Amino acid sequence: MKSILLTVADRISSGLNAIAQAMVLILIASMLYEVVARYVFGAPTLWAFDVAYMSTGVLFVLGAAQVLREDAHVRIDFLSALLPARVRGAIDGLAFLAVLCPIFTWLAVIAGQRAWRAFQTGEVEHVSPWAPLMWPFYSALAIGLAALALQILAEGLRALAAPRNDDSFKIET
Amino acid sequence: QDVTWRVPTSVPEGSPFYVNFLERFASNVDLLTDGAVEIQPFGAGILVPALQVYDGVKDGIVEAGHSTPSYLVNQDPVNAIFAGFPGGMGPEAYSTWIFQGGGKEKLAELRAEEGLKSLVVGIGSSEIMAHANTPISKAEDLKGLKYRTSGPWAEVMRDYFGAVPTVVPPGEIYTLLERKGVDAIEWGPPSGNLPEGFHEAAPYIVVPGVHQPTFLWEVVVKQETWDALDEAVQAKVEAAAELTSLQSLAHFYDQDMKAMATLRASKAEVIELEPAFQKQLTDAGRDWIQKTAEAQKAEGKPRMAEILAEYLAYEDRWAEQSGYLIRNSK
Amino acid sequence: MLIAGLMFPALFVLILLGLPIAFSLVIVAVGAGLGAFGPVAFNQLYGSFYSASTNFILSAIPMFILMGALLERSGIAERLFRVMNLWLSRLPGGLALATIAMGAIFAAAAGVVGAVEVMIGMMAIPAMQRARYGNPLIAGTICAGGSLGTMIPPSVIAVMYASLAQMSVGKLLAGMMLPGLLMVGLFLAYIFIHGLVYPARPEPGEEAETPVSLGEKLWLTVTVMLPVVLLIVAVLGSILAGVASPTEAAAVGAAGALALCILNGRFSVEMLRSSLAITVRISAMILLIVAAGTMFMGAFAANGGARLIRDVIDGAGLGTTGMIVFFLAVVFILGFVLDWTANVLICVPLFTPFIRSAGVDPVWFATLVIIVIQTGYLTPPMASSIFYLKSIAPPGMTYGQMCRGVLPFIVLQVLTLALVASFPALSTWLPERIVGF
Ligand code: NA
Ligand code: NA
Repeated sequence: MKSILLTVADRISSGLNAIAQAMVLILIASMLYEVVARYVFGAPTLWAFDVAYMSTGVLFVLGAAQVLREDAHVRIDFLSALLPARVRGAIDGLAFLAVLCPIFTWLAVIAGQRAWRAFQTGEVEHVSPWAPLMWPFYSALAIGLAALALQILAEGLRALAAPRNDDSFKIET
Repeated sequence: QDVTWRVPTSVPEGSPFYVNFLERFASNVDLLTDGAVEIQPFGAGILVPALQVYDGVKDGIVEAGHSTPSYLVNQDPVNAIFAGFPGGMGPEAYSTWIFQGGGKEKLAELRAEEGLKSLVVGIGSSEIMAHANTPISKAEDLKGLKYRTSGPWAEVMRDYFGAVPTVVPPGEIYTLLERKGVDAIEWGPPSGNLPEGFHEAAPYIVVPGVHQPTFLWEVVVKQETWDALDEAVQAKVEAAAELTSLQSLAHFYDQDMKAMATLRASKAEVIELEPAFQKQLTDAGRDWIQKTAEAQKAEGKPRMAEILAEYLAYEDRWAEQSGYLIRNSK
Repeated sequence: MLIAGLMFPALFVLILLGLPIAFSLVIVAVGAGLGAFGPVAFNQLYGSFYSASTNFILSAIPMFILMGALLERSGIAERLFRVMNLWLSRLPGGLALATIAMGAIFAAAAGVVGAVEVMIGMMAIPAMQRARYGNPLIAGTICAGGSLGTMIPPSVIAVMYASLAQMSVGKLLAGMMLPGLLMVGLFLAYIFIHGLVYPARPEPGEEAETPVSLGEKLWLTVTVMLPVVLLIVAVLGSILAGVASPTEAAAVGAAGALALCILNGRFSVEMLRSSLAITVRISAMILLIVAAGTMFMGAFAANGGARLIRDVIDGAGLGTTGMIVFFLAVVFILGFVLDWTANVLICVPLFTPFIRSAGVDPVWFATLVIIVIQTGYLTPPMASSIFYLKSIAPPGMTYGQMCRGVLPFIVLQVLTLALVASFPALSTWLPERIVGF
């Protein structure tokens, strides 16, 4: 049961991470196209600005869960490193399961309600002359927050079962 | 009865709109209600997202919010009438329509449908039509002009004059204008533009602001929050709102005249558009809003057309009769 | 106001317990938010999260990081630093000097801080480690060089500051120019002297760089350095020529780096994939902190945080100098945890009326504030620049080494601050002369 949960959480996080990576390319392409369209063609787009801010928002929200899975959200652990691994695991587990998981679940619920309302009312961007529908963007935020809540649950369980024993920083470059 | 409202607005703290409209409203409310109602102003993006102040009030996050109908035009174009539109009434005529000609009642009806009480808190003066890198004095000058603008004016510029509306985020307007990445920008009234320093970035300043002859801000309160106030207090808060609007408009005029003097004395050249070209721009704006209202009507939403008809009748009467007024222009 | 006062101590406790920074901010924001908003607190917190998710200015971050990742992963950065080492190996601290110069150059292209730091860090850390520079010097160089983005125009922070304080953007940008150059000069001088006193010592037998002939050296320089120089010119030039806005220039840089990889025959799908992976990883980490900081700030303001600060000013009866020192201290402390957007949003409107009525030169004061904000990035234990460095630091580099490494640079920034404070002309002389067309 627990292992299924962990697997599901990990799969979702890594799937969303792939979408987040695509967003980086979309962001760059939209900005570049705007430069060319404005400078070379003298015909700037109405959409590049919206696409840019939305893809930035989506890429970080969808990427956040995978970052947590890789334990790459920065911590300052010079003091906590002095504590026994079991105690550190208990702190992490407790904070993740009892505090952070409910918080992010609740945020995801609000985000979902916002997306649903935008869908029902046909809400469009407030000031953009392009005026795109907003529900897809809101939905992406809701999905990202939900995935983060799930990964927090998974990491909380992991921290209680097998506390990380090394320095938390292991991003290879 | 002691009431405290947290009131976020859509502009940052320190902006002239914040100080002149919202902070003035807070102190007028304090004055007239003898401190029974406390308004706590908050700058943009602190309590609720800058452009979602109306939603923040509806969701009950804050008791009241301060914003402009401009940000609702994309959701419902009827708001363009209240936001100020190209070819619309200037501040004198418009504030008269709002407070004496039935305008604020129309706005109140519109907001009441969403469960909101609307108080007009702030009417502005005319904006500067453009800070530009190339001189603009006739319709041909607009053709192909990369022009940072938004809302109805963007559509009018594109569809009637062949200009190229360009989206530039606020933080990058100065740099892009200064480096000539865009040909022209519009932002706010003279006293709002002066501190932004656009006159140091581009050599031409184009007036008058036919694109935005005036603008309106309002404080919205959830109806049940409003109803919970004593009637006597309600009347005082309403009075504070109207007082604020009148005082702030006079303040804008005063600041704008001083700002214009500084702008004219700067190295930038002020271009005042010929009446014939002004009329061309104005007519295009009126044509745009009438077509928009008709399109709404065709979609089964006749209200915009109704309000617009009253508005334009008021504007026409003002135009025909106001010749007797002394305006001290040169 | 009691809650607002307790928010910072609570935050420090959570961070020191070893919880991720972003989560610590969120937990405190939720606690304080519930106090201020009751049952609708989560709607408010989501609004703050949404504000941060729709902030266009942050778009530069992933683009600059991708640029750095591509140059690093394609081996272009490695070759670049090797060539620079050919020329600079005799110069004490040569590579560190080059890194600061690169930081200053990209600072002129970027308005945001984390982006440039991560980018030059990814490129320079391996090279400096190979050349046997000490970890503290590497860490200090990357953090200090990467934080120059605030001081050297165009700087988004300056634009935002000017807009909030209702002052001329052009004057402020011009006012920061000499102090910015002064700071860069101090950094370079320190590294040079440090290099003289503690020369980097290659391990015996490891000196694999065989001496190359001048012809080879020139050829390598042309083939390796020139394309990168062209890339830099494209990024900077696109802003200066008015082709691109500062954020768009970041896209020019990322696309240019990709083109460089392809032209060099270094491109592979695998390389692009791993570059995108690290881009998302670091961007998500940074932006989650920004979003959490925005939530924290909203809760702080709603609980009367601004009034708390205002009451202190009113109550303390400080003179003009005392007031300026107090303001700078507030900026410094908030800078421990808040990203600069939040810091500027809270502080500038709060201070401006006091500064104006005291008759203090606004450009001078703004320059001081911006120097302090930049110093706040570097100052342990809570330092954004160290958080960001941690995300790319090699395993052997410890937190202690990072803190030791930034220390001298903090001293140099404080020295810059003291110089600008004592000689206001450093910031007020230039604007009077160059602003205008
Ligand atoms: Na405008
Ligand atoms: Na910069």
